[in-house]
This record gives sequence, structure tokens and C-alpha cells, in this order.
Amino acid sequence: MSKKNRVAIVGVGYSDVSRGTGYSLDKLTAQASVAAMDDAGIKPVDIDGVVVHSFPHQFVSSTHTAAMLGIPDLAFYSGNVDGAAYSVAAMHAIAAIESGSAETVLTLRTVHKDGAAGGAAMLAGGGGKGIPGNMQFSMPYGSFTGSHWAGMYMTRHMAKYGSTEEDFGSFAIAQRKFAVANPTESFFHEELTMEDYLNSRYIAKPLHLLDCDYPVDSSSALIFTTEERARDMKQKPVFFDSWANGTTKEADFSLVGEMTHSSPFMAADRMWSRTSLKPSDVDTAGLYDGFSFIAMQWFEALGFCGEGEAGSFVRSGATSATGSLPTNTDGGACNVGRRHGANFFIEVTRQLRGTAGDRALPKKPEVGVVSNAVGGFAACALLTAD
Amino acid sequence: MTTEVSPPLPLPNELTTPFWDGAANGQLVIQSCNACGHLQHAPEPICSACLSFDLGSAAVSGKGTVYTFCIPTQAFHPYFADKLPFVLAVVELDDQPGLKMITNIVDVDPDSVRVGDRVEVTFNPLGEGFMLPVFRPISQ
Ligand SMILES: [Zn+2]
Repeated sequence: MSKKNRVAIVGVGYSDVSRGTGYSLDKLTAQASVAAMDDAGIKPVDIDGVVVHSFPHQFVSSTHTAAMLGIPDLAFYSGNVDGAAYSVAAMHAIAAIESGSAETVLTLRTVHKDGAAGGAAMLAGGGGKGIPGNMQFSMPYGSFTGSHWAGMYMTRHMAKYGSTEEDFGSFAIAQRKFAVANPTESFFHEELTMEDYLNSRYIAKPLHLLDCDYPVDSSSALIFTTEERARDMKQKPVFFDSWANGTTKEADFSLVGEMTHSSPFMAADRMWSRTSLKPSDVDTAGLYDGFSFIAMQWFEALGFCGEGEAGSFVRSGATSATGSLPTNTDGGACNVGRRHGANFFIEVTRQLRGTAGDRALPKKPEVGVVSNAVGGFAACALLTAD
Repeated sequence: MTTEVSPPLPLPNELTTPFWDGAANGQLVIQSCNACGHLQHAPEPICSACLSFDLGSAAVSGKGTVYTFCIPTQAFHPYFADKLPFVLAVVELDDQPGLKMITNIVDVDPDSVRVGDRVEVTFNPLGEGFMLPVFRPISQ
């Protein structure tokens, strides 16, 4: 039996990012790809795999992306619309490289600003044909967007553990401090107070506007390769120590068995079973914050605190720059905009390889954890510095 | 003067028709496996408990417990613009542990709803003959 390849991240890059670039999904995808290749110091001919994750109604093709970039021949490709956003692309690429199916894989997540709301609204609004499939059991009740299940996840946690809106607010406040220190990427430049958070309007009480990621046009790209090839590239490699997916038995986010103990717990348990590292070994985290409660569930799922204790964990200062687990050090998607998970892989990579510039953490991290999604499906990975 | 906005109406198919027909007749009807009796919602072409394709439907008790809820304050569809705030909830039905459905809690002050509240089904007209199974508190 052949030895599995150790997989490295060797390049990261973003497209232009704004509330309305006017750029096509393809142009954004191409911009991010070029930025990641420049970062890695490689050319399209060095790439033999492309993996893309996109929304079904904003589909980006992996083979078309390769053609656009002049990649001559793909040993591995997949274009995904199912599952845990960017991490699906990452997991496919890791599996391809570990197994020897491909050597150097470009991974992508491209999204237009209206991506999360667009699909549902179009279906419900269009043409009076009626709502097909299982959405006919949610939309007539007024359940249209992630904010609706997110509000219900928060209520469940509050009822089960006595957590409060201030607990979720403490995360938004802590994360904003990092955003203020990242002015070139963050859309928000002022620190938040608890009053600001509580006064931000409800979208689906108890969910506030400031619990939501910030919709933007963006593409994010990362390039993965084998350890051997990584040694010849421009950047210090960052390695995947372990990684895992997890799902719940129920696919519908609103109907999972226990909202406070959803797929992040399955993914985290599986990831820890595949490593000798422990939660106490982790120096920094990039935890998905499509809604702030999601990052809170990850603190609990990954074992950084007990179940129900994420609020007090954040309030203790543990997630700040000088705490035991600086978290979302780029400011998170609530502040740098919706990158659908990719920004956490990118930021933790920058911190671990020492290219975070002014934002370098006071104590150089050696181990980082990244995560994506919640509810029906989730994924996480441990990254290590060289 | 108000303009009528069409509600988001279902497009029933062979799996979902029993639910909507049941509601039109004042019953909460859930897919039921003819082989093992497992209830499942939403309906699927196969029973996830025993893999039987022999599926029927059953009128259930219509009683349950509020598993969780939120109170939407922004309309993502014009039909809901004049219905804010309302209670969007997940109710766990008494008929099988873990059997849950997305619904609304009605006839109640939204801010008074609590997880664990006992509720019973009632039916609200949705439009074009469709009735929507929703829940209201069980009066003590
Ligand atoms: Zn069965």
C-alpha cells in the first residue's frame, strides 16, 4: 500500500471584492485564480486539478475555469453545488492529492452578492407556478433564507442553555476588533459596543442584522499540492494535519435532530479521531460565521469549551488577539464579506506561514483550525506551520 | 386600498398531495410507511427506516410541542410584508419521537411563545383552495 501524500496549501488569493463589482462569476473566478497562482509562484501548466464549489443558481464550472486559465489537462476536477461551501472544494482537493489522483489542485469559491437569498426568492416569486419539492413545506410558512433557520438555532440554544442575545453579541464585538485591524479587507472600521449590537435591527428575532455575514461579490482561491512539490514553491507551505466532513441524518437544516449539536460535532469528533493534536494545541481558529451562532457552535463542537458555554468562552477574552484562541483574525465574513468559508482557510494560512503583515498575532501560531457550515453538513480541518 | 399579493403556493406532486389534500379536509396527514409504520416528513420516495417503497399516509394527532421558533421581522417575500412579525417554528409531533415539521404558531402574542409550549394543529386558508396546517397553543 502506498503512503498517503501530505497535503500543503501553497497559494492563496482573492478577486476584487465589493458590494457590486459588476464582474461576472467567471471574471471573479479568474481574478482569484491568478492571485493564488502569483502567490504560489506557479503557472497554469503546473496545475492538474480544479475543484469549484458554487450555488446551483450561480454555477461555476471547474472544466470551464481550467479552459479559461489555459490549464492544458486535468487529472482531477469536480464542480459542486452540494454541502459545506468552500470546504467541499478543499476536501475534494485534499482527497485527490492524498490519493495521488492529482498533484496540484486549484480550489475555488465564487459568489455574487445576492447568492444566499437569490435562489429561494426566485423560486417563490416566479411566475405563480408553485413551489416544487420539499420547499413547499417551508416557504408557505415564511421560511425563505438562512436567517430563518439561524434564528431558530439561536432560540433553541437559548432555551436549552440559558444563553442570551448578549452572548451572540459578544462574538460580533470580539470579531469586529480584528476587522478594525484589517482595514484593507474589512468593510467595517469602527469597534462595536453591545448597545450597537442590541440596537441593530432584528431579521428573525433573536437574530440581529449584526449576526449575519455581509453579502458581497467575491471569489477566493487556494492552491494545494504535495509536500514534495510544495518545497519548490515560493511560499512556506502550511500543511493539513487532519480534516473531516460531518452530516446529520436529516438534510433539512430546520429539521436536524438537535440544533445545538448539529454537523459540526460530527465533523469535529471525526477530525480529532484522526490526529494526535488536541484542542489545547490549537493557537488560532477561523470558524465559519455565516451567522455568529455558527462560530459559537464550533467553539463547543471542537471542544474549546463545553456545550452551552460558548458565550462565556468568548466573553472571557479567549478569542481575542492575546487570548488562548485568537479567532477570525481577518474579521470574519461578517466584516470582510461573504467568502463562504474560504477566508478562514486563507487567513489561518497567512498567520501560520507568517505573511499576515501588521495583523500577525503576538504569539506566532503553529497550529490552526478552520471550519465551514453548520446544520445538515459541516467540515473542519487542522492546519500546521512548517 | 391594498393590492392582493399572491401567497407562495405549493406545487403538489404524488408525494406531497396527501399532505395538502388532508389539510383541505381539516386533517394533518403525514407520510407513513406501509411496511414498518415509520412516519416521515417531508415525504420521500423511500422509507428511511426500512427502505420500503410501499408508502402511504396517515392522519396524525395534530398535537405537539414547540421545538424552536423565531420571529421574522423582515419579509423575504411580498406576501409576508403585512404579516410581520409572525412566529416561524419547528413543532415536534406527539406521534413519533423526533418527527418535526416547519410551521407557524398562530393566535398568540409572538413574544409569549416559548420552547416546550404544547400546541395543536389548526388550518389557515393560504389561497387557491390550499389550507395550511399551523399550530396554536393548547388552552389549559
Ligand atoms: Zn418503513
